[in-house]
Amino acid sequence: MKFWSILKLSWKNVWRNPTRSGVVILAVVLGTWAGIFSTGLMNGLSMQYITNQLETSVSHLQIHHPKYSEEYLPKYYLPNPDSLVKELTSYDFTQSVTARSVIQGLATSATNTFGVTVKGIDTETDSTVSNVHTYLAEGEYLSQSARNPVLIGDDLAKRLKLEVRSRLVINFQDVEGNITAGAFRVTGIFDTPNSAFDESTVFVNREDLNRLLGRKNTVHEIAIMVDNFKNADQYRDSLAHATNLEIRSWGDVSPSLRYTDSNVDFMLYIFMTIIAIALVFGIINTMLMAVLERTQELGMLMAIGVNRIRTFSMVMLETFFLTMVGVPVGMLLSWLTILWVGEVGIDLSAFAQGLEEYGMSTMIYPELPEGYFINIGLLMVVATLLAAIYPAIKALRLNPVQAIRKV
Amino acid sequence: MSIIKVRDIKKVYNKDQVPVHALNGVDLDINEGEFTAIVGPSGSGKTTLLNVIGGLDEPTEGKVYIHDTDMFSLKERELIDFRLHHIGFVFQAYNLIPVLTAKENIAFILQMQGRPQKECNQRSMELLKMVGLEDKIDKRPSELSGGQQQRVAVARALSSKPDFVLADEPTANLDSASTANLLDMMLRLNEEENITFIFSTHDQRVVDRARRIVTLVDGRVDSDEERISNNEQVPNSRKN
Repeated sequence: MKFWSILKLSWKNVWRNPTRSGVVILAVVLGTWAGIFSTGLMNGLSMQYITNQLETSVSHLQIHHPKYSEEYLPKYYLPNPDSLVKELTSYDFTQSVTARSVIQGLATSATNTFGVTVKGIDTETDSTVSNVHTYLAEGEYLSQSARNPVLIGDDLAKRLKLEVRSRLVINFQDVEGNITAGAFRVTGIFDTPNSAFDESTVFVNREDLNRLLGRKNTVHEIAIMVDNFKNADQYRDSLAHATNLEIRSWGDVSPSLRYTDSNVDFMLYIFMTIIAIALVFGIINTMLMAVLERTQELGMLMAIGVNRIRTFSMVMLETFFLTMVGVPVGMLLSWLTILWVGEVGIDLSAFAQGLEEYGMSTMIYPELPEGYFINIGLLMVVATLLAAIYPAIKALRLNPVQAIRKV
Repeated sequence: MSIIKVRDIKKVYNKDQVPVHALNGVDLDINEGEFTAIVGPSGSGKTTLLNVIGGLDEPTEGKVYIHDTDMFSLKERELIDFRLHHIGFVFQAYNLIPVLTAKENIAFILQMQGRPQKECNQRSMELLKMVGLEDKIDKRPSELSGGQQQRVAVARALSSKPDFVLADEPTANLDSASTANLLDMMLRLNEEENITFIFSTHDQRVVDRARRIVTLVDGRVDSDEERISNNEQVPNSRKN
């Protein structure tokens, strides 16, 4: 009954000055909305960057010969790749598996040369692991009908002045270590959000590459997509017990991606904390005003027998109510905004060149897991309650005799 | 029977490092059912004495007993609780809670005492009727006149059935008609319900209606007069 009365009085006090409370609630709504939406935007940007990299080039897990990643030499191919692929496909966590022959070579056109990674792929299985085929800008994907087709990135095409149907010669080592070369015909040009990848990677049919390498069914890399890329390290460890081959998760292959992923949470919370701190000062100001303009009334309450705990609780509850009106509205608005913008995206094509250099898409789709909403909501509630402590202490320190006489 | 015993109360304030002697050894007994006005010039210590009797201001020396309870031997929390249960307060500026209705303002004290809601409602209605504001139960203070607000304040002070009511200049902000109404009501409550009222006042209209007049000068009781009825002084009243 006592607590209920204080609760009721606090709620009514919130609406004593509707304009002021409205402004504070609006600030909480906007702060929460802006914080969560920006967080969703940054998270979406980071997640897109990571998934772009994983889906175009890195994949979730890679298996190589133990010495392959030291020198990237064609002689370090995988033994019994077919049985290995079959075994990997049977695991529950495996979504898709593909085998590739991968070599480092020198691509030469009529006008220029450039060092490239040549990936010999099985088009059918590779398209389940890599989404490069979805970024086809010109021509067609590796055609089975053409002789020695090659798929190149638009940046390499510019550098070597190549077009669809242009001829491209690639020099590289075969599995015996002899220098060899192959002539390829450009059948398609892709344009992914990662310009560095587009400039340095070409795709050919694995069969064609293996012929030039001098060994049938050569496989240097098995790329795997799993059910959740966040669990890749765990799957790597479980696979590592079964084989002596080198198994690397995407984080091992690309430490910068792992760094981005592990820091995204930290950065988002730092960002939200900054917003919360700004709100805290606004709330301290408002609640201090609310306490100071009610000095006489608070003094009267203390005089007639409302103890300090209840006076403190009253001010804290008022702040809590202000927050609890603002935060859910802000969360709902941000959820709706993220839902909508997550569908239509934000077009940053004006900055396409700069973004692609960093491997980022020009369309940003904000996304935020539900856990963030709860954590950010809690962060806002804690921040505002912390903000209320000083005004509440100020109320506690009032001397009833002096407070009552205050005009 | 004395319900309040004030014994050799001294109160010294340090204002700008200069000691100000607000009360200089006040002795006073208030009996149940008295209607007492504490009067005196500005700075004589009326309000300080009322604050000390109400447990709001601790004296520098001396004791205040309420029904034999040494009020200032209580811990802070006990003292606040003691005020809640034993003392009714009426303030000069009414000091109602602006966001609560008349009924809610009265019920608030009972709720703070942890009484059931039904009892709170019943008692609030009873008191509003007693002060003649039964038609204003859902009005907020801003919708009431000064006199009506002060009546609600009196009803609030009476809600917990206190041992006595302390009223600090209760008529200072009221016009003559409202003052007369308020005093009529308080006198009626005093006579019919045997409620003990202690006022500090400058207001001659209050002094004229008081049954006992304690005059303070320079923080001391200068005179203490009792009247059988209004404006009639008890022949053997004491001059300090």
